[in-house]
Amino acid sequence: MRIASKEISAVSLVKEALGKAKKYEDKNIFVSLNEENALRKAKEIDEKIARGEKVGRLAGVPYALKDNFLSKEGMTTASSHILEPFESPIDSTTVKKLESEGAIMIGRTNLDSFAHGSSTENSYFGVTKNARSDERVAGGSSGGSAVAVALDIVEFATGTDTGGSIRQPASFNGVYGFKPTYGTISRYGVVAMASSTDCIGFFTKSTEDMDLLMEICSGQDENDLTTLPDYYLDSKIKPAKKVGIIKDFDNDKVDENIKNALKEKVEFLKKKGVEIVELNMPTLKYALAVYYIIVPAEVASNLSRYDGIRYGFRSSEAKDLDEIYSKTRNEGFMTENKRRIMIGNFVLSSGFYDAYYLKAEKARTKIIEEYENAFKQVDFIITPVSPNPAFKIGEKVNDPVSMYLEDVMSVPINLAGVPSLAIPAGKTKEGLSLGLQIVGPRRSDKALLKFANELKEESDA
Amino acid sequence: MKYIPTIGIECHVQLSTKTKLFSEVDNDARGKEPNSCVSPVDYALPGMLPRLNGEAIKFAIRAGRAMNCEINASSRFDRKHYFYPDSPKGYQITQFYHPIIGEGYVELPDGKKIRIEHAHLEGDAGKLTHFDTYSLVDLNRVDTPLIEIVSMPDMHSAKDAHDYAKALWRLMCYAEVTNGDLYNGNMRFDVNVSLAEEGAAELGTRAEVKNLNSFKSVERAVEYEIKRQTKLLEKGEKIIQETRGWNDATGETTGQRSKEEAKDYRYMPEPDLPPINLSSEFIEEESKKLPLMPKDYKEKFTGKIADDTLEVLLDYPALMKKLAETKDVKRVSNWFASVLLAEEKSAEYLNDLPTAKQLDDLSEMTKKGELSSTGAKEVFLKFFDPEMGKRETKVIAKELNVIQENDLGELEKIVDEVLANPATKQAQEDFKNGQEKVIGFLVGQVMKASKGKANPSSAQEILRKKLA
Amino acid sequence: MKITREDILHLAKLSNFSLSEDEIKSLGTDLENIIGYISELNELDTEGVEPTYQVFEMENVWRDDEIKEQEASREDLLNLTTESAQDQIKVPKVL
Repeated sequence: MRIASKEISAVSLVKEALGKAKKYEDKNIFVSLNEENALRKAKEIDEKIARGEKVGRLAGVPYALKDNFLSKEGMTTASSHILEPFESPIDSTTVKKLESEGAIMIGRTNLDSFAHGSSTENSYFGVTKNARSDERVAGGSSGGSAVAVALDIVEFATGTDTGGSIRQPASFNGVYGFKPTYGTISRYGVVAMASSTDCIGFFTKSTEDMDLLMEICSGQDENDLTTLPDYYLDSKIKPAKKVGIIKDFDNDKVDENIKNALKEKVEFLKKKGVEIVELNMPTLKYALAVYYIIVPAEVASNLSRYDGIRYGFRSSEAKDLDEIYSKTRNEGFMTENKRRIMIGNFVLSSGFYDAYYLKAEKARTKIIEEYENAFKQVDFIITPVSPNPAFKIGEKVNDPVSMYLEDVMSVPINLAGVPSLAIPAGKTKEGLSLGLQIVGPRRSDKALLKFANELKEESDA
Repeated sequence: MKYIPTIGIECHVQLSTKTKLFSEVDNDARGKEPNSCVSPVDYALPGMLPRLNGEAIKFAIRAGRAMNCEINASSRFDRKHYFYPDSPKGYQITQFYHPIIGEGYVELPDGKKIRIEHAHLEGDAGKLTHFDTYSLVDLNRVDTPLIEIVSMPDMHSAKDAHDYAKALWRLMCYAEVTNGDLYNGNMRFDVNVSLAEEGAAELGTRAEVKNLNSFKSVERAVEYEIKRQTKLLEKGEKIIQETRGWNDATGETTGQRSKEEAKDYRYMPEPDLPPINLSSEFIEEESKKLPLMPKDYKEKFTGKIADDTLEVLLDYPALMKKLAETKDVKRVSNWFASVLLAEEKSAEYLNDLPTAKQLDDLSEMTKKGELSSTGAKEVFLKFFDPEMGKRETKVIAKELNVIQENDLGELEKIVDEVLANPATKQAQEDFKNGQEKVIGFLVGQVMKASKGKANPSSAQEILRKKLA
Repeated sequence: MKITREDILHLAKLSNFSLSEDEIKSLGTDLENIIGYISELNELDTEGVEPTYQVFEMENVWRDDEIKEQEASREDLLNLTTESAQDQIKVPKVL
């Protein structure tokens, strides 16, 4: 990471980043730029350096903030209409920690509204385009953040991953994207999607950068009672001797390019003396159904607070209190938000709770057990992130089920709460990025990053 | 036809923790400006997560123990969804599936045991004030910790309901989990009333009267419902299952728009709060902190305080605690009873009780005869005087000039003076001639000469000796 | 599972959406497809399995009962609402 110093000033780093952000305006990466604040903060850091004062580990490093993180700088929209306008009076924990180390937020990145989606097409502010192709989606929901890093606009970007929202756009754009163990980074001040699977993570260009960000941003937070005391357990750090591949994911729905990328990595590991183990994980095929029951339920619940009463948008059409609710919510939410909220209310409603919601939470137990068993046999698992590289804009947006199928390989990880890192894995002939993910047992986060680094060094050599 | 009423009561108790259930703002909004006790969590900004107040868990354990309830080792929170401006999150955090307090019972004064089905922790709602064309929303009360206590339908009369409500109030006050201020809604009762023909196997359809905030209104609402439902049944009409409101002025319940479909709250486990799994040691430790309960005081004071007096005094938990600290419970309780019974200001008086030392000194001085019973009462009343109340008993007594003259030498001198006074000559003669009553006149003269400080019985004794 | 117009209207009511006619139709189709997909879970045997609501391994996490200054003031919060009066949030009369 390039950090401000006597040689490179923070102002020049920030100016460069803002310049690139503007150059790629057509990609629709940012919801808003934070130019004034960013330049002011950069100047302050340069002055500190000039005075010989101590600066943070991220001094002057420009970064992009997914627009579902609360920050006092500018509007927080979650790419929705219903939070328009919403100027947060508080900062999310992640923003606080990054800024205390001197990182500078240059802009807020686009996402699927409320992070509902796998393409960043469901944004109130339009589609974000893939870093490699204007015809293709950026992936989602953290599409803007992935593209901002892939196009080298910023050194890193924040993301949220509820069912693949960091890893899939990372793999669609050829960068690292990390979803840590559930509870590693505080969710405080991040617009909630599904509380039991939401994870905060990052996009970077290297595993070292990722490690540094994890060290800075992890840890117990008194504002989030579901945070772990530390970033990893020492006991989980060990060299990978056995790596698993999931047989159940090897089917004709997976694109040949991705199959080949996986094969290459597997061969490479074998050469290194790593034993490859084929795993049977038959419950995983139900993970997507489980996910699309549990997550909408939590979504319906978490999005109840957007009602036009206390903040954000209130419909001007509303004539009475009932209409403030129903018109504000109907006008303020996008179609995909409505689908998920209604599905959530369906699976929670009386008469369906046991058959859907409770059943799904039981199935979740089986999925967790399947991972636990797998990690008795192997140190890590390597799988594709999604069945295909970036698809065409418009291809799936009106067919929710085919869009959901995009998440088939990413959601089981969120349901189990285990960490997973998306790593770049070459390109297709047309130049589209490919990615794979490495999955580890709970709280093996640091070991996972180390293993990923070994994978890269050797294959690059 | 004879109908048997069956009554179950749900009671919401506001807990008197320092802070709210899910954020560190002041939990006591009485007398504070609207929305001045509201955190971003209570306001339900995006991305806000509940921060559970551990004290509420401990309060719940004490409350449960006060009702002889099991404390469930494993409990957790759930979300109950509904849209209303008093509910910023769009859901209430409650305990639907796994409440912290399990089965127990509350004993009524007549010995009846009312079973508790369960009790759970939850957050309160905000407050709306209605005007001509608009309403205003104050979120101060949002997520004040509550425990909701659900009774079994074990009551069968308005008196039962009244006694249960009152017993519950006492238990919660003695457990020190609530301020018990009914006027300010610290405890609110929802009463379910149904009638069934005598001998019927099943209960009748019930009506629920919501938001009663006094024992009297609980009693009256039940009385009214029994009458209303009896009339309907006698006419052959059906009781509709509905929620009814109570009008304290008219003494009537009225049906609130009955919703055709039952509300669907879509309960869901709260994913933002880790589960609660209490060790038996933890539960035991908290249980031990349960202060003395009304029944403990009854046991302690039987024989020392008359039953009916005790029953009155039991309504004042702080007073009972104070009595337990004093040496002469009989005397002290009498003073309190006479003050409380005689004065309208009783509640006010009880906000700031005298110290045990003040009360013990007062008992001691009375016992020694240094104070007459009237003098003692005067001093006692001054304990509640904002200016004098904090002084030592003796100092107050001196200031009031009510200490009796017990120095016999001194008293004898006064008696001699009185007897030497020609104005008493006739009386002395009359006494010697057997007119017993005259002694009173002479004692009076001694009292007068001593400016009221003489101990009348000592004065009489000396007089009798001298005139013998 | 067939999702009727009444089902959609009921879910819209629970969700508090004033859906347009077009939305009632299109969301009807979408929801029927999605519910069809998630219903595949019926095949999985979960007999005797305990549900997992959270993948967080800690329990009994709570805070002390001490008043603390909050990050946003009453003014900060009320400034966010469309309408306020007398330090309260103003809404049309609640019936």
